[in-house]
Amino acid sequence: MTFIEYAWLVPMIPLAAFLIIGFFGNRTPEGGGYIAIVGAVASFVLSLLIAIEVFGGSVATPYVMETPWLKISEDITLNFGIYIDNLAVLMMLFASFISSLIFIYSVGYMSHEGEKKRRYYAEVSLFLTAMLGLVMASNFLEMFIFWEIVGLCSYLLIGFWSFKHPEGDDASDAAASAAKKAFLVTRMGDVCLMAGLFVFLYAFQSLDYAVLFDYTVIQTVDPDMIALGSILLFGGVIGKSAQFPLHDWLPDAMAGPTTVSALIHAATMVKAGVYLVARAYPLFVQSMDVMLVVALIGGFTALFAATMALNNMNLKRVLAYSTLSQLGYMVMALGAGGYVMAHALHSGDVEAVGGYTAGTFHMMNHAFFKALLFLGAGSVIHAVGTEDMRKMGGLGKHMKVTSVTMLIASLSIAGIPLFSGFWSKDLVLEAALEPALEGAGIFWLLYIMGILTALMTAFYMFRLWFMTFRGEEGEASKHCHGESPRCMTVPLMVLAVFALFSGFFILAGFNDLLTFSFVGGAFVVGGHGHSAMYVLEHLALSPYTYLSIVVAVTGIYLAYRMYRVKDVDPGRFNANGESAPYKLLQKRYYFPQIYNAIAMKVTYPVALAVNYFDREAVDGVVNGIAGSITGGSQELRKVQNGLVQTYAAVVVGGVALIVVLLYLAGFLTGGL
Amino acid sequence: MSDIVLSLLLFTPLVGAIVALMMGGERQKYARYVAMVFSAIPLVISLYLLAMFNMSQAGYQFLEQYTWISTSFLHIQYILGIDGLSLVMVFLTTLLVFLVTLFSFEEKERPNFFFALIMAMELGLLGVYMSLDYFMFYIFWEVTLIPMYFMVSIWGGPRRHYAAIKFFIYTHVASLIMLIGIFALAFGAASLGGSGQLVFAFDYIAAAGFSGVFQTLVFGLLFFGFAVKMPLVPFHTWLPDAHVEAPTAGSVLLAGVMLKMGSYGIIRICFEALPEGAVAWQIPMVILALLAIVYGALACIAQRDLKKMVAFSSISHMGMVLLGLATLSEFGIAAGAFQMFAHGLITAVLFMVCGIAGHNIGTRDIPLLGGMAAKMPKFAAFMMFGFMASLGLPSLVGFVAEFNIMASFFFWAQDNNVVWVVIIALSSLMLTAGYYLWAMQRTIFGRVTDRVDLSHVHDVSTYEALALGALCGLIALFGVFPALAYDFIYPVAESLAALIGVI
Repeated sequence: MTFIEYAWLVPMIPLAAFLIIGFFGNRTPEGGGYIAIVGAVASFVLSLLIAIEVFGGSVATPYVMETPWLKISEDITLNFGIYIDNLAVLMMLFASFISSLIFIYSVGYMSHEGEKKRRYYAEVSLFLTAMLGLVMASNFLEMFIFWEIVGLCSYLLIGFWSFKHPEGDDASDAAASAAKKAFLVTRMGDVCLMAGLFVFLYAFQSLDYAVLFDYTVIQTVDPDMIALGSILLFGGVIGKSAQFPLHDWLPDAMAGPTTVSALIHAATMVKAGVYLVARAYPLFVQSMDVMLVVALIGGFTALFAATMALNNMNLKRVLAYSTLSQLGYMVMALGAGGYVMAHALHSGDVEAVGGYTAGTFHMMNHAFFKALLFLGAGSVIHAVGTEDMRKMGGLGKHMKVTSVTMLIASLSIAGIPLFSGFWSKDLVLEAALEPALEGAGIFWLLYIMGILTALMTAFYMFRLWFMTFRGEEGEASKHCHGESPRCMTVPLMVLAVFALFSGFFILAGFNDLLTFSFVGGAFVVGGHGHSAMYVLEHLALSPYTYLSIVVAVTGIYLAYRMYRVKDVDPGRFNANGESAPYKLLQKRYYFPQIYNAIAMKVTYPVALAVNYFDREAVDGVVNGIAGSITGGSQELRKVQNGLVQTYAAVVVGGVALIVVLLYLAGFLTGGL
Repeated sequence: MSDIVLSLLLFTPLVGAIVALMMGGERQKYARYVAMVFSAIPLVISLYLLAMFNMSQAGYQFLEQYTWISTSFLHIQYILGIDGLSLVMVFLTTLLVFLVTLFSFEEKERPNFFFALIMAMELGLLGVYMSLDYFMFYIFWEVTLIPMYFMVSIWGGPRRHYAAIKFFIYTHVASLIMLIGIFALAFGAASLGGSGQLVFAFDYIAAAGFSGVFQTLVFGLLFFGFAVKMPLVPFHTWLPDAHVEAPTAGSVLLAGVMLKMGSYGIIRICFEALPEGAVAWQIPMVILALLAIVYGALACIAQRDLKKMVAFSSISHMGMVLLGLATLSEFGIAAGAFQMFAHGLITAVLFMVCGIAGHNIGTRDIPLLGGMAAKMPKFAAFMMFGFMASLGLPSLVGFVAEFNIMASFFFWAQDNNVVWVVIIALSSLMLTAGYYLWAMQRTIFGRVTDRVDLSHVHDVSTYEALALGALCGLIALFGVFPALAYDFIYPVAESLAALIGVI
């Protein structure tokens, strides 16, 4: 027996938890919280067992199990099933692991929610189900189904407090609006994605990964169609992973509970987009142009989002921008690596492109430290009751565990050597550098963007940490409840261990597991990457490594001077409170207004015009004709009731009469 | 049994209607039990048909054929028969009638008459979906009008008389034009066959071998009749008015199964009898479909009345049915037909939800509402489920239909080098999500409204919840296992596409 045969249980377990909690949650302790935890942990354990088999090489990958779902035309039957390779296993592992920790943490964090707990635990269980289904799906349509359910869950959870918000009506309104925005903006991308599926369905007559990723099949298909499909697919990624210009839903999504933010940012939702790029790599790498677009969007988002985190005072918002920025990193790495591969593909075998490993590795590390950051932020908010960092400060004394674990996460995301973020961020930058060094000049730009992002990241993270945990106590810090309960701090500590050490996976063989190669005319995930020694040597000898270390330290030092020692006044960048760039950042480059204008200043007036036209012109003609027939200028609406009943009676009678006459005619002519 | 089962199915509601009608005066309160029983029987029979239907056999099954009227110049027959498509529509009809009866179980105003009308409507609807003689088809088509007229004009809202008359006259005029088309078919077939006798049987007319010009002209007449019923823009204005005024049961049946008579007619008569006409009318059909989809969706955004919004969404979604059909491929025809089924289930939920809003809150005016989820959690849950299903959330039945329609349309556009038109169709998906989410934001979420007196508001009642729950369950079931219905429809689409493709 192999565990992989039971892989379908991995999403089914949390689904069962969802159903049990949904129907009976109120009769169980914590509104079904323990059931959700058991579901997530069970699915993690099973994922782990499968991972041992897959990574250990005892089962051949990709492991595919499919059954026909719907026959839609002579040649096309849509399937439903699972497709497991190293990438899927990695996603299953960290989605279920981090979700388990978040669910455990929720028992403390959501303890005051009463009746609403059932809804919370049901929805997060469904969220996990959908994410697992998404990464395990055997074809693009099935992936898209789960992709949309992920979107639904984020809508439900961001809007968790869209009615009866504990902080009052305004907060309810804000949550309702944020949820709608998240759904609609990502929907924009999803519609693109759907169009991409049409293109692939047309070109390949199938949506199965097993068919689409087969190089012999790919060669028979028009490369323009593949490029078109890929770029449309990437539209979905832009929405889901909140890349520019569809990024602006993510900061608003902070309206949900902090645990939900942790789920969305670390384990599910936004990771789905990055996953999709990695999953569809065999198609994406068919075109250098597509890969260049991917890299540019990613690189730009990384820098663009980081700037908005520089002066934000809201603890969760800063983390949201940092997620945007880090997602940009991942997308950039995948794009740059794919560019190299696309370039080399025509010349034959291509081994182990750095960008793919960098992107997926950073996705995993980010999952750990971002979950830690959000849960830490949740712990702070739980204790002080505000998200405004100006009211915090000096919390380090009251909340030792939170403060230290947050420090570890900040060091990690800043890219200080040996912490996990260092390894993957460096690989990301190196991925951008690779095509640059090979002569694709535009990638120098991306590399510089990446370095600037690194500087800003180190700065804003330590700004956050100093403002929250060091210095004098703010007004909210004074009535801090102290450290959070054990069920909240233990997940923090577990995640801190990973934020410290998960980078070492790259030395322990991650490289071999998550490489993407083209060998002997076939695409392969996993295989032989560079050895640990090679990676170490490479890092130690490359001057660029030291550049990024210097940049990170500089960022931290700036934050230290401005927010800890305070001998550099951050206010100088906002002279008289009306500095234009400062305001531009605060207004999020006016993106909320742009979105709003598209909805309310363009679409809504058009809709009103159509409605007016409908009533006055289309219906006007109808009433006019009716009026002219019934005699005179009277509108139909003014016709008296009695007249109509008479008319109806005439019509009914008429039909009856015709039938009777026909019948009689038949009878008389002896036809019956 | 199987040689009279369709007649049994057809006339059970008639018996039910007569029995219910007799439950006047003192016995009024028992009328609902009569209705329950007599609407359950057809549902059971349709389930029996589903079980007994032979999927591998082409053509019509359970055929019954009797000569009804035969003179030297007329030959009208009583022919009943079902293929996979009619079977699905029959199932949908009997299901919705049963659930609507359950939903309206506590109707207080003249319940005997109310339930009798529902069953009379069922008679007409089943007749339309099972008749294979076009003259009979027309009679049943007209039969559906009358109970609906009374339902709107007696149980309707403040402008019920205007709406009922408009509904009646508008669709009746269209039916007459359709009747001309049906007679043209019979005349055409008779003259081609060299006989003086008008025959309306489907197989006789299909075998006539009409000329291309004749097909194109007659297709136009019939299509107009069906287009008003669906309804397609710009022949749709009777629909929002009728829906706004109609009682919930009427709206559910109107949108759920009565509009589908239009698209069913296009498939059953236009495509089957006039395949060449279908080819000639393909481009106009595509344009009308796109117009209905986008126009309907835009109009939805502007509505204040929840029910009127849902009514316009029906126009948009019925446009999708036509978009699928207009591709004339097996992929598209099956997808369009599946959308008829999907929309029938989903729209029933939507109109029930609107009915509950009007009934339990006292207003359906979106700007007046707000925060209803805090007061009526079950109502909010059903509303969200219905809206999500309607905007095409995967894992629910609407998605399968929508995805397949859009994909088949993409295939058609790609083959005809007009890929950009797909953008028009896809834009409606954004608009649809937009109006539904915006409506939810303003009605069930946010602060609790202070513009409406909420002191007497009560949540969904047990009967209503049962009906809604059953529908939601089916929406999810067919969303996860669409083949349960799709496999009945697909062979019909396949043979039609083959028929049209032969030209």
